[in-house]
Amino acid sequence: MDFLHNWAEYLPEMLSGLKLSMLIAAVSIVVGYPIGLGLSLMTASKNLVARAIGLAVVEIGRGAPALVILYLIYYGLPKFGISFESLTAAYIGLTWNAAAYASEMFRAGLQSVPRGQIEASQALGLHPWPIFYRVRLPQGLRSAVPGLMGLAIQMFQGTSLAYGIAVPELMKTSYSIGSRTFNYLEVFILAGLVYACISMPATWITVYFERRIHRRYA
Amino acid sequence: MTLTGVEAGERAGNVGIDLDHISKRFGDHVVLDDVSLHVAPGTVTALIGPSGAGKSTFLRCINLLERPDSGTIRVAGHTIEPGKEIRSRDLAALRSTVGMVFQSFNLFPHMSVLDNISFPQQNVLKRTKSEANDRSMQLLERVGLPEKADQFPTRCSGGQQQRIAIARALALDPSIMLFDEPTSAIDPEIGLEVLAVMRELAAEGMTMIVVTHEMQFARDVSDTLVVMADCRIIERGNPREIMSEPTQARTRQFLRAVLER
Amino acid sequence: MDPVTAVLRGVPMTLYLTFGAFVIGAIGGVPLALALRSGTWPVRAISRLVVDFVRGVPIIVWLFVLKFGLAGEGIRFTPLTAGVIGLGLVSAAYLAEIYRGGLQTVPIGQLEAANALGLSRSVTFRRVIAPQAFRIVSPSVATYLMGLLKDSSIASTIIVGEIVFQAQSYARQHPTAVGIIPYVVAGLFYIVLSIPVAYFSRKLDRRMREEIY
Repeated sequence: MDFLHNWAEYLPEMLSGLKLSMLIAAVSIVVGYPIGLGLSLMTASKNLVARAIGLAVVEIGRGAPALVILYLIYYGLPKFGISFESLTAAYIGLTWNAAAYASEMFRAGLQSVPRGQIEASQALGLHPWPIFYRVRLPQGLRSAVPGLMGLAIQMFQGTSLAYGIAVPELMKTSYSIGSRTFNYLEVFILAGLVYACISMPATWITVYFERRIHRRYA
Repeated sequence: MTLTGVEAGERAGNVGIDLDHISKRFGDHVVLDDVSLHVAPGTVTALIGPSGAGKSTFLRCINLLERPDSGTIRVAGHTIEPGKEIRSRDLAALRSTVGMVFQSFNLFPHMSVLDNISFPQQNVLKRTKSEANDRSMQLLERVGLPEKADQFPTRCSGGQQQRIAIARALALDPSIMLFDEPTSAIDPEIGLEVLAVMRELAAEGMTMIVVTHEMQFARDVSDTLVVMADCRIIERGNPREIMSEPTQARTRQFLRAVLER
Repeated sequence: MDPVTAVLRGVPMTLYLTFGAFVIGAIGGVPLALALRSGTWPVRAISRLVVDFVRGVPIIVWLFVLKFGLAGEGIRFTPLTAGVIGLGLVSAAYLAEIYRGGLQTVPIGQLEAANALGLSRSVTFRRVIAPQAFRIVSPSVATYLMGLLKDSSIASTIIVGEIVFQAQSYARQHPTAVGIIPYVVAGLFYIVLSIPVAYFSRKLDRRMREEIY
């Protein structure tokens, strides 16, 4: 029962780490998702340059592990004289990661709008821009929502990788406590519980929304 | 041990089935309300009626794909009371006596047509591979599709898939065949192929219970017409009589809507 | 030594981690998936909690629990063992969820036909349901495997000598501009591997849909 007492001791410090984790996650989502939407439009564009740039950004952001991107920005760039603070590097790296994955979800969502809708709109005489803006986009975004919610949860868990670049978020904080007290097991179990207490309900809410959206369109 | 088509036909049609006081509900929703049916051996019973009347559910109760809440099923010397415990021995006997053909065919897409028909024979009847394949080819000839043996179901049209499904069910030598809206998912023109096979089966004396919207088939081929509406049987008897002079208003209403098309 | 060779020295470990964890996950996911679909409510609930919990904790935390946490209690794993077990555990949970979705997608008519034919439950599962579910989930499993390859990089934090670890040690020894190259090489390794798999996965997905439906 000792561990409960220890947990109470560690909790305040860990919660401040949690706050930072959530802040990083929030920034990467709020900034990354709109960028992702833009990237998805670029990768679908008829313009070759736009498509090439979009694809490059997405395939690198998705293809490389988040950890590598973070190391590249925080450890690699300084060798070229571009130095970022650890937190800033985390923001940039994880936002890039989020944008790349989000762009795939937006692309899939926009593509999944039934062709019949577009054909009907064209038959009615609507022009391409209104068709995109009023028919494809609203429905496409709606079907991308569950995937984006799931991605948000992954981004939250992904902030734990900022440990590798010395950001005092939840994981790093736990490690610090662990190396001070040598109670690694207790500390990391508590850290796991904190992550799970946020991820699990968030996942259940996502599943709930997924079912609701399905029901409306089935 | 192989059975020729004729031998199988002789065994089939010697068996009838009795269903007494079958009731079923899903939660608060009553689906079958005290439905009883006696099916004489060698007869064809057509089950018609508006959607939601419980026809498909009732059919599925016959081979216990759905479990009724109460009632009795008597077939081939076995008495089954689904409301209480069902012995696996009885269930196995029931399933081997009764064959079923589904609206959506339900062929196994990952097996060839021949394997679709042979695999259940090998597994349930313990026939050897060559016995099973011989019987399968026989049945494919009978439904007119021997050339499809090595193809996969997705390469076949709906009407072909349904005929193969009939062959698959027949391969287990059932004595009773159930058909759940066999032509509803098929083009009307192609559906005629399936109905032709069913007519032959009936002419050979198979006991059949068919849920269908095909009124001509019901009138020409069935010995007993059963009309279901609102979860119960509202009329039963000679198909020609009922269709020309229905005694129930509900039947009249239904027939008018269907026959007017 | 040049940066490229230095980084590629980590490839064996990367592959070992990835495939070791994948085998554990691919096999371990099966009983979990069956439990998730169990008819018994408590079994379903407990397996649901276990799967969601394992997926709800970041991989790096699992690795640290296995390497440092258990070491404190006397169970010492080598970094590699901890890496494979941790990644395997998480994989089992994710793959269980993928399998479950696949099993659910097999049309219920298949089960009905098998029942109507009198096929036993185990034969129905083995010969009718599972083969179809396998085809349905293969693209998702391939995608997951790609993700697992990338996640193997997390083991660098518990000192497994895979690609990213090698890149880091090279970079530390070379404070000049050359020091960025290992990270670029590491990144390219994953990117180059992910492109063909993503392409094939998309093609496979389209073909699966045609065959089954």
